[in-house]
Amino acid sequence: MLTDVRVYASRAIIEKVVKDRSLDQAANVACLPGIVGSSLAMPDIHQGYGFPIGGVAATDCSSGVVSPGGVGFDINCGVRLLGSSLNRSEVRTRLKELVDQIFRDVPCGTGGSGYIKINQKELDDLLVEGAQWMVRHGYGETHDAEYAEAGGALADADPDKVSARAKERGRPQIGTLGSGNHFLELQYVQRIEDEEAAAAFGLRKGQVVVLIHSGSRGLGHQVCTDFLRDMGPAMRKYGIELPDRQLACVPITSTEGQNYLGAMRAAANFAWANRQGMTHFVRQAFRRIFSDDVNLKVIYDVCHNIAKHERYEVDGKMRDVLVHRKGATRAFPPGHREVTPAYRQVGQPVFIPGSMGTASWVLAGQSGSVEETFGTCCHGAGRLLSRSAAKKGRDVKRVVNDLERQGILIRSGSKRGILEEVPEAYKDVDEVIEVVHNAGLAKKVARLRPMGVIKG
Amino acid sequence: MVSPPTIGPVASYEVLEHTADIGFRAWGTTPSDLFGNAARAMMAIAADPETLSGEEEKQLEVQGVDYPDLMVNWLSEVLYFFDTDQFAARNFRIDDIASDRLRATLIGEPRDPERHSWELIVKAVTYHQLKVHQKNGRWEAEVFLDI
Repeated sequence: MLTDVRVYASRAIIEKVVKDRSLDQAANVACLPGIVGSSLAMPDIHQGYGFPIGGVAATDCSSGVVSPGGVGFDINCGVRLLGSSLNRSEVRTRLKELVDQIFRDVPCGTGGSGYIKINQKELDDLLVEGAQWMVRHGYGETHDAEYAEAGGALADADPDKVSARAKERGRPQIGTLGSGNHFLELQYVQRIEDEEAAAAFGLRKGQVVVLIHSGSRGLGHQVCTDFLRDMGPAMRKYGIELPDRQLACVPITSTEGQNYLGAMRAAANFAWANRQGMTHFVRQAFRRIFSDDVNLKVIYDVCHNIAKHERYEVDGKMRDVLVHRKGATRAFPPGHREVTPAYRQVGQPVFIPGSMGTASWVLAGQSGSVEETFGTCCHGAGRLLSRSAAKKGRDVKRVVNDLERQGILIRSGSKRGILEEVPEAYKDVDEVIEVVHNAGLAKKVARLRPMGVIKG
Repeated sequence: MVSPPTIGPVASYEVLEHTADIGFRAWGTTPSDLFGNAARAMMAIAADPETLSGEEEKQLEVQGVDYPDLMVNWLSEVLYFFDTDQFAARNFRIDDIASDRLRATLIGEPRDPERHSWELIVKAVTYHQLKVHQKNGRWEAEVFLDI
């Protein structure tokens, strides 16, 4: 190890964390050439491949490496929150119709493709412009992209470094949700914890909101597969040896490193475009069921699988680093110039989806993140049980009925998908939030409860 | 018609536990059997095998630096065919294999969104704890999939 591992956790969380290989993985990450500061683990840490999920590592931009495993296969898997002009009581009377309409209108993509058809040239433009491309082509409202991390598109994306295969996989899938732990949730604001931040974000108690958790679909997955495949020989060329092949990496400044980053940014932009497309479909569904007067505003959109070029003070000196966030969310504090102007007074919104049927959280980034964790906090509850363990002894009908008794409707493309995502399969999201709040990385703003769950 | 090499029994794999994703252990008497059974294992995780049918064939060739690398590249190729070429393979025949390359035939039919959807979208094949080796008198592989 070149540096130490720092874990943010409560006693209860640590007792669970030691049961899988996540700490070993965080220790392997501490071997990355050019790592700056510690190998970090957020309180939702669990075993991934290479990096743990909930892992953060910054590497020096001149002398350090970039590791595609530190971003993940699902490049820019992330979360978008929409705030509606409706309240819980208004939506509850027509909940079933709304959930069914959204399930029809937002394809999960397991059947192969979505509703949005684009050609090769359009895809190349979209890979550069991200969410804004979708807005310009009628899939959004004027200011949507302003309320997304990086304005919904990373600069220096290079569509030419995205393989033909990745484009072939991605092109039919734009505007689709995906499956597994991806979902779209109708929620209401159950509790406000910070009045000032909630007001700035446009959140009020009882308001109906929509949380979309999805990523870059087949395009991103193929980009990571392509580059990981070629990294083995590249690592030998640069004399890099690491304990885990999935941690494959190359110098940031190398041709291979720059090619990966160009492709990664393009894939990230695809994911933002993807979430923008689904935003449009959700708006249509609301207006179809209620009226054309219903508003859905993009509150914000954050990524939690990404690598970004940022600057931090480390041991008294300003350093240019590449921050790998693998299942971890950027959480910039009040006053930070990259926080959307409307939110700069209170800090960047952060969305932490809980498991199906429990709670999600809205947080606001705080100065502790910049001081300690390269501007980062957690991304979710973190899985506790494997998929097989989650299914054991459980019955789909019972799970669905339990949720309905709580007033939560679920629509899923797959029965197995419901069982594998039961709340018991995840850590306690409230506990995870307490850790980041108490550590000063991000503060609690609002707690959200589900009303309807749409899954692939 | 030349008899194809042994395809192997369908149930030559088992699912492996992983917190966030899913894996399998497949086995066979030869590398050829193993690689065929590994692809079957992945398709059983991803799709409902009962809905897969057809006798159309697609040939493909894959390279790798060693058997583990070849396994990842082979399974990634099958994934790619399902996702893009829209070909739902129900069975696999390994026509020729060495540690650095293989030639195979996918047997199935064009994808029909009404019948062939992903049960679980397999995003990618990982190198995580990847094993391809001889053990207890047979060939075995352990592969984890990102889902």
